[in-house]
Amino acid sequence: MSPHLAAAVLCAVTGVLLVLPMLPAILELRLKKDAAPLNVVQQYAGEIAHFAHGFRDSVQRMAPLVANCAATGVNAHPTLKGGDACLVLGKNDATALSSPTGKEPTCALVVIAAADLTLPDRTAFLKEIYAAGKLTGGEECAYRAIYGEGDIVLGRASKLMRWVHAAGALHAEPDCDLYGRVSSDREIMLGAGCVFQRLHAPRIVIGTADGGAAEACASPRLADVGGREKMDALEPRRVIEGDFEVQPGEVVAGNVVARGKVRVGAGAILLGSLKSGKALVIESGVQARGSVISGDRMRIGEGCRIHGPVIAERGIEIAAGTRCGEVNALTSVCALKIRVEEGVTVFGTLWAREIGHAGRGA
Amino acid sequence: MIYPLIAIVLLICIYTVRHYLFTLNRLFGFQRHPYIDIDTADWPAVTVLVAAHNEEKVISNILDALMAVSYPQEKLVIVPVNDRSTDGTRAIIDRFAKAFPGRIRPFHRVTGKGGKAAALKDAMAMVETEVILIFDADYVPARGLIKQLVAPFFDPEVGGVMGRVVPLNAGENLLTRLLDLERSGGYQVDQQARMNLRLVPQHGGTVAGVRLSALREIGGWNDKSLTEDTDLTFRLLLAGWKTVYQNRSECYEEVPETWPVRLRQIMRWAKGHNQALANYGLRLLFRPSLASWRERLDGFLLLGVYIMAPITLLGWALALGVFYQGTIALQGVVALLAFTSYAAIGNFAAFFEIAAAGQLDGSARRVRLLPFLILGFVVSIVGVSRAFASQLMAPLTGAQFHWDKTERFRRTS
Repeated sequence: MSPHLAAAVLCAVTGVLLVLPMLPAILELRLKKDAAPLNVVQQYAGEIAHFAHGFRDSVQRMAPLVANCAATGVNAHPTLKGGDACLVLGKNDATALSSPTGKEPTCALVVIAAADLTLPDRTAFLKEIYAAGKLTGGEECAYRAIYGEGDIVLGRASKLMRWVHAAGALHAEPDCDLYGRVSSDREIMLGAGCVFQRLHAPRIVIGTADGGAAEACASPRLADVGGREKMDALEPRRVIEGDFEVQPGEVVAGNVVARGKVRVGAGAILLGSLKSGKALVIESGVQARGSVISGDRMRIGEGCRIHGPVIAERGIEIAAGTRCGEVNALTSVCALKIRVEEGVTVFGTLWAREIGHAGRGA
Repeated sequence: MIYPLIAIVLLICIYTVRHYLFTLNRLFGFQRHPYIDIDTADWPAVTVLVAAHNEEKVISNILDALMAVSYPQEKLVIVPVNDRSTDGTRAIIDRFAKAFPGRIRPFHRVTGKGGKAAALKDAMAMVETEVILIFDADYVPARGLIKQLVAPFFDPEVGGVMGRVVPLNAGENLLTRLLDLERSGGYQVDQQARMNLRLVPQHGGTVAGVRLSALREIGGWNDKSLTEDTDLTFRLLLAGWKTVYQNRSECYEEVPETWPVRLRQIMRWAKGHNQALANYGLRLLFRPSLASWRERLDGFLLLGVYIMAPITLLGWALALGVFYQGTIALQGVVALLAFTSYAAIGNFAAFFEIAAAGQLDGSARRVRLLPFLILGFVVSIVGVSRAFASQLMAPLTGAQFHWDKTERFRRTS
C-alpha cells in the first residue's frame, strides 16, 4: 500500500470513528422525530370529575336511545364510538348484566341505566357504568368507573379501580377499597374500614355521623375572638429555629413557623397559620383560622376545627369529631398517607397520594 | 501555576458531585410535591403582573390565556405592566382592558429606569393583594396554573414560588432543541432536586410568585439588578423565607431562535448572577441568618455557577502552561490527570443530568442530540466569560447598567 493511500485510509477511518457517535444526533436533528414541545395540558385544570364528565358527555350523545329505552322498558345493545359494546337498560333489571365467564360473575359491557339501577353481589364490572337515577351496588363488587345522576351506594367490601362521581350523595359501605377519584356534588359518606385516595365533595363524612365533639370542647369559639382573617391581612410571622409549644388554651396571633417539632395544647386558638418543619401534634379542641402544615407527620386530636388547608408531607392522623374546612369555605387535607377516625368531617378535598384509611383501625 | 490549577480542579469536582447528587436524587430519591394536591381552598386574592416591553407579537396570547384560567374571577386581577413600549403593545392591552373591565387593569409606564425590576417596582402601586404572580409576556399559562402557583402560599414559610418553563418553539432549529434539553435538565432535575433536598430552588422571575409581605420585608424589587429573580431568591433566603419549586406547574415559553439573541440572554444572566454573588455570597456563608447550612452551601454554589465559566477557561490555560513548563513534576501530572478526568467525567455529569431529565419527561429520542450540547457549552463558556470580563472592566470603561430585552420570534399573535 502506498504511503498516500495509507494516510488517506487512516484519515477516513478516523473521520468515520469521529462521526459515528454523532450519527444518532445528526439523524434526530434532520428527521425531528422527537422535536415537538413537551406536552403541557392547557385545558385540563386537574378537576376531580374530569373523566366522569367526559364519560357523561359521551352518554349524553346517546340521549334519544336512552330515552326510548326508558319509555319502552326494552334493553338496547349499541356500540360506543371507541368500539366498546354497550348495554342500555330500559328498566331496573340486573339479570342481563352478568355473563358467568369464570368463577366470579363478570360484566364486560358498558352499562347505561335509563332509570335506577340495582346491581347484584360479587360481580366484577369491567367497563364504565352510568345510572340516570339512583345506583345501588351489591356487596363485594368490583367496578372500573361509575357515574350516577342521583345517589350512589357502594355495597360492603366493594372495590373501585378508577373513578366514581355522584351528582347526588355517595355512600360507601364499610370495607370498600376506593382507588382513584371519588367525588360527589353533595356529600360522601365513608364506612369504617374503607380505603381511599382522592375524595372531593362539599361534605365528606367518615362513619355515620359527625361526632359533634367540636361543639363540646371547652375553648371559646373563633367567632368570639374576632372576625375571620384572610391571607391578605395576616400579622407578621414568627420564625422559631427549634421546637415550639403552644400552651393549652393559649391564643396565638399571626403566622408561626417553627423549624422543629410543634405541639399545640388542648383548646388553643391559632388566629393565623402554623408550619412545623418536623412532626406536628395538635391536641383536642384546637381551633385554627389559617392552614396547618407539617414537613413531616401530623396528628390532629379530637374535636378540632381547622379552617385552612391541612398539609403534611408524610402522613396525617385525624381523630373523631374534628372538622376541616367549612360549608362555605371548602378546604384540602393532603398527605401521602392519611388515617381518619369515624366522626371526622372534611368540607372539600381529602387526598391521600398513596393511601388513606377511614374509620375502623384508623 | 500548579496550585491554582489544583484549586480549580477541586472546584470543578465539587460541581461535578453536585450534578450527580441532583440527578441520582431525581432518579431514586423521595420526591417532594407538598402543595400540588391543594385543589380546593378559600383562595386568596391574587394580582398577576405581566411584564411587557414591545410585546405586540405575544401579549394577546397571554391575556387570552389568563382570562380562561380556573381561578375565581372575583379574586384575580391582571396587571399588564407595559414598560415604555414603542410598538402596538399599549393598544392591544387597552383593547383587552375594555373587553374585560375590572379584570384587567393596565399599568402603562412611559418614563423611568429601564429593566424589568424597575418596571415591576413601579407597578407595585397597583398591587393590593398578599399574593403576586409574575409572568413574562411570551408565556402561555394553562387553565389550572394560577391555583397551582398560589397553593404554596398557604404555607406561612413560603415567600416565593417557581413553576416549570417548557419551550414551545423547541423544534425550530438546533439552538431551540439544545435550549429545550438545557431547560429540561435545569428544571426537571436541578430545580426539583433542590426542592427534594430542601436546598435553594431558584426564583425564575416568570411563572413565579412572591408574597407581598415578604417582598416588603426584604425591601421590594432591586432595580439595580440585571436578574431580579436571582436577587429575589437570595434576599428571601437570607430573610428566612422559602422559595418552593412546583415541577408540575408547567408553562410554555419561547426560547431564543438565533445565537446572537441567546448570547445576549446568557450574558445578561451571567452578569446578574455575578452581581448577586458579589452582593450576597459572603453574607450567605458567614453572616448569621435564618437559612440552614445546607441552604447556605447550595446557595453559594448556585451563585457560583456562572463564575465557573471563566474559572474553567483559566483552568485550561493553566493546564497548557503546566504542560509547556517543560519538566512536568509528579504533581503536574496529577493535576493534568485530574483535569482531563473532569473533561471525561465532569462534563458527562451534566450530560447525565440532561439525559435523566429526558427520561423523566418520557422523551427519550431527543436525548440523542446530547453530543451537540458541546456546541451550546462552548458558546455559553465564551459568552459568560465575556460578560465576566466586561463586568471587571466596567469601572475602567465607565459602562452603565444596560438591560437587554430578549427578542421574540412568534409568528402569529
